[in-house]
This record gives sequence, C-alpha cells and structure tokens, in this order.
Amino acid sequence: MPVKKEKEPLIMHPRPSSIVAALYTLRDLDTDVVILHGPPGCSFKHARLLEEDGMRVVTTSLDETGFVFGGHDALVEVLEKVIERFNPRRIGIVGTCASMIIGEELHEAVTQVQPDVPVIEVDVHAGYRDNTKGVVMALESALASGIISEAEFERQKALLKEATLVEKRHGAASKEYLEPNRGDLKYKVAERLLELIKQGKKGLNILNAKKETAFMFADINLAVAQVAQKLGYGSNIVNMVNLDDNVGLPKNRRNAREIKDDLKEKGFEIHHIIGGLDEYPVAGNTADKIIGEKYSDYDFAVISGVPHALPMNNIKNMELFSVTNGPRQVIPLKEMGHTHVVVEIDLHPKTLGVSHIVESEFGATLREMVKDA
Amino acid sequence: MPKQIAIYGKGGIGKSSTASNVAAACADEGYRVTIIGCDPKSDSSITLLQGRRIPTIMDLMREGIDIKEEDIVFKGYKGVKCLEIGGPEPGIGCAGRGIIVAISLLKKISRAIEDTDLVIYDVPGDIVCGGFVAPVKKGLVNEAYVLTSGEYMPLYAANNICKGLSRLEMTLNGVICNSRGALNEEKIVSEFAKEVGSQLLAFIPKDVLVQTCERDGYSVIEKAPDSQIAAVYRKLAKSIMGKREGKIPVPLDDSRLRELTRI
Repeated sequence: MPVKKEKEPLIMHPRPSSIVAALYTLRDLDTDVVILHGPPGCSFKHARLLEEDGMRVVTTSLDETGFVFGGHDALVEVLEKVIERFNPRRIGIVGTCASMIIGEELHEAVTQVQPDVPVIEVDVHAGYRDNTKGVVMALESALASGIISEAEFERQKALLKEATLVEKRHGAASKEYLEPNRGDLKYKVAERLLELIKQGKKGLNILNAKKETAFMFADINLAVAQVAQKLGYGSNIVNMVNLDDNVGLPKNRRNAREIKDDLKEKGFEIHHIIGGLDEYPVAGNTADKIIGEKYSDYDFAVISGVPHALPMNNIKNMELFSVTNGPRQVIPLKEMGHTHVVVEIDLHPKTLGVSHIVESEFGATLREMVKDA
Repeated sequence: MPKQIAIYGKGGIGKSSTASNVAAACADEGYRVTIIGCDPKSDSSITLLQGRRIPTIMDLMREGIDIKEEDIVFKGYKGVKCLEIGGPEPGIGCAGRGIIVAISLLKKISRAIEDTDLVIYDVPGDIVCGGFVAPVKKGLVNEAYVLTSGEYMPLYAANNICKGLSRLEMTLNGVICNSRGALNEEKIVSEFAKEVGSQLLAFIPKDVLVQTCERDGYSVIEKAPDSQIAAVYRKLAKSIMGKREGKIPVPLDDSRLRELTRI
C-alpha cells in the first residue's frame, strides 16, 4: 500500500534559497565563475556578495522570450563568453526556478561548447523546503566530476542532515511564522556580562559559527576573553571554538586557519577545538560533552554563531548570552532558555572577501565599556 | 542496456493502440517489456490491464505519497510492466514539469526501466514544451518511431516531429503507417519515410477489431491472437526488436509534403 508522507507544517516567513545555497557551495569548492541560468534578477543580492569573495557570478538573463522559446542558445553564448573573458579553471552552472520549470538541460550547452575545464552543473530551483538541498545537489555534481571524494561527500551529507534538523528543532524552520526581532540592547547585555566577570564568575566562551560568519563571530569571543583579561579574571574563562582546519572543503579549512592565526596573534588561548567550520550542526554536541565532563558548574556561557545548535543539557543552569545574526532566531533562542540574545545585524555580508577577523558591534561595545578600567 | 523506444505521432493517430499491441506481442515472444504512458490522459496501458486504470505517478505525488516502485509499477498482460505518469487537471498547473519530475523520480527509484528488454515511452501527440521531451533529453530513449497515416495533417505532424528529433540530434528508427484508408496511403508514407531518411516498418490496415478489443479493455494480441491484425502487430514487434541503425531525420519542406500527399 502506498504510504503517505507526513504532511510538513506550513512555514510562512521567507527562508534561505536552495539556489543561493548551491552558489555558496560552489564558492567553497573554489569555483571561479558561476553562470546562473535564468532571469537577470534571480539571487541578485547573494550573487553580488559572492563577488566580494572572488567568485564571479554571471547570468544568462532569460526574459519572456527565453521562457517561451528556451534558453539554450543564451547559455551557450554566456558559457563561451565566460571562457573567453575570465579564463576560469573551474566553472559552475546553476539552474533557477524559471529555467528548470521549462525543462532546460544545462548539460546540452556544456556538450556543445566542450570547455576544457571542469564544469559543475546544478539542476536546482528554489522550490525545496530545506535550502540544504541546494548544497547536496551541488556536492553531488562535484562528486560526479571528481572534484570531491566520496568520503567528503558522505561527510557533508551527514552534516547537512544535522543542519536541517537543527533548524527544524530550534531554528528558522521551527514555527509557522517567526517574527523578526533585533534582540536585546547590546550595552545592557554587555553590562550584565561584565558584572558577572567582575564578580569572578566562571564562564564558557564558545564559538560555534557557520563557515565564514566566524570571521565576525570570533570577534565576540575574542572581546570576551580580552575584557576578562583586562579586568583580571582571564583565567576564569574557557574558550571553545569550531576552528579545526583539517576538515571540510578548501575554503573552510583556509578560513579556520586564518581566524585561528588572528586569535593566536591577539593572545587568545584556544582551550578546546570542538569541530570544523562546516561542523556547526554537530560541534555543539562535542562542546556539550566537554562541558558535562569538566565545566558543568560554570556560571555563564557566551555562545556565538549558531547558539541553537548547542544542546541545553549541561548549560541549562548557566546564564546564557547568545549572539546570532538571524533576527528570526531571537524568539526561538529565548524559548530555549537563553537569557540574553544579541543580534549582529547584516553580519554575513561583512564576512565575505575577508581573511582577518572583522570587528563586531557587541565586541566593540564590550571593549568600549572597559576602556578605562 | 534495454531497448528504449518512444513512439511519436499526431494526437489520435493510434500511438497508444500501437504501443500496447507491440508491448503485448513482445511479451508473447518472451521479452520483458515496460510501457510508460507519458500523456496526462494516462490511457497507454489500459488495454494491457483488462481495462483497469492504475494510479499515476502524478496522482500519488499530489496526494503526498512517499512514492516507491511498487506503488507505480503494475503488471499487465504476460507480465508487461505498466506505468502512467499522468498529470494535472486540464488547464491547471504545468504538465510538462510533471513529466520532468516523474522522469527524474523514475531514474532514481525504478528498476522497471533497467531490468527489462524493452521500454516503450508512449508520448503525447504534441510536444508542446520542454517537459514533453524529457525522456529523450534525460537520456532514457535511444530509439524513436513515428506513427502516421497517409493524410496531410498527420504527415505534417510527423514531419514536425522529425524537425524536433533532428534538433535533439535523436535518431529516427522507423516510420509506421496506421492506415486511415487514404488513397495510395502505403506508397505515400513509404515515400515520406524514405525522404526523411528512414523506412516504412509496417503498414497497419484499418481494422475495427482493434477498437472492439480496446472497448473491452484488451489488445488484439490478447483478445484476438489469431486475427490478421494481430499478425501485423507481431511483425512490427519483431521488426522493432531486430537490430537496426537509426538516422537523424531530415524534415521535408511544406511544399514537398503537400506534393507527396497528392501521389
């Protein structure tokens, strides 16, 4: 008997797109140019941002005529132009809703043009419930072209499954509608955090950030360590970071190394590595285990990045300070029991195209408040 | 790899009748056969299933079923595996996208298109959009056949299909004439086949027996196995299963097509 799938509950607020997810994945795979096969405005904002990271994004600019008559010729033309103009070593072609609905075959253009560099084709549109689908599809194609290993593919797939679950449990996919919220006032939260530090309370300082967003989230952990040091309580703080540079796609390893080097140079001591930059959905479990073994009696914890991926088991009695970049993450975090939630608005764009830690507002606030101490 | 064929032709010309009779004839010969109806009307396999309608892939998708192979593959006459893609209600949504989604699903979950000797795609008469050529574009079809009568309009459609095939760089492996009783019909279709670079594989005479059997939910192979018309289908089936090279067709211009029907 046919088995009915459980009906997924409706989610009304806009959520990340699988087309964009495919684009970011191609960047992580060190793709030089990506052709978006579709209308000129599709994924514009992220296409633009990714150029800051050195990956070029171009579009076949399908219009009404293209929708009706097909976009094969346009794709061939753009592919040829891309090869001539940019001389790329690796090309990506990414579908859009429009081109996929009308049945465009990305591969036909590749067969016709026959580029002598690898082309990663991703037949993706944005009609998937979980944007991680776009990542999986890009990785599948990379696997098929021999760019990543089977083992890395399986590793990534398992992580993405976890990431999807994290969002379902306490993230953007956890409710029918999530109201955006700017979080608590930064100076008030900073005041309370400094108060605890000055009282000699013991604190955990955890970075669990997704990929390049760590360039700014790390600044918060750095600031916490710095102000504690300045106030004479540096030894009360334990630092845990997901900056393992031996795992993940090339860019993620590179970024982990860069952030680690910066932290070291600024005198930040890493007590525990809890995973790599792409392991944010599971690194929280590693942190949880370490906390259970060694630090369950600590008084407070600062968690930056993806705080909702950290299980509450061993931290539920601590005063929690979490820093996120998602205005829709505030309410779920509060509901989990995080006392203070700070939002670093527009964090992601500022972490593209950088190779050093970027100053955060909350970090700057903390530093400012102990300036004269 | 199994032989994977698609039968094209003007709507109403008899593609489904031909497909199901060829499928039944091949099954009689001991071949493992799969028939996939790609028309939203979902009527390709009905005469192999004693008139029974089977749930289509699109029906199950609409109901939110987690589709498994056993939900969509149904055994018909002599074990012929029958699948229907189906589609949205007429005038709603996008049937072309439906075919694309169904073909991707088939590639993923179905062994019926691999562990078999012959797969027949019964495609809709009019290739109105990109989705309708998905079986060809996704590499699931390696031989194409065109069905036509000797009348001008069906030939016009057949010629158009040749245009499409040549654009897709798909070979044409034979032309089949389903007679409507036009004057000089066999000669006209035979000449058409030759001029587009192919050959006439079979001339199927008009026989009321086909309709009578269909009305009762059977192919002539099953219901009237000793009839003359059954023998014609058997011969065609043999011819399709025999090895033959196809050629990318060269469509005719319209004036030549008109001239041809005046022979």
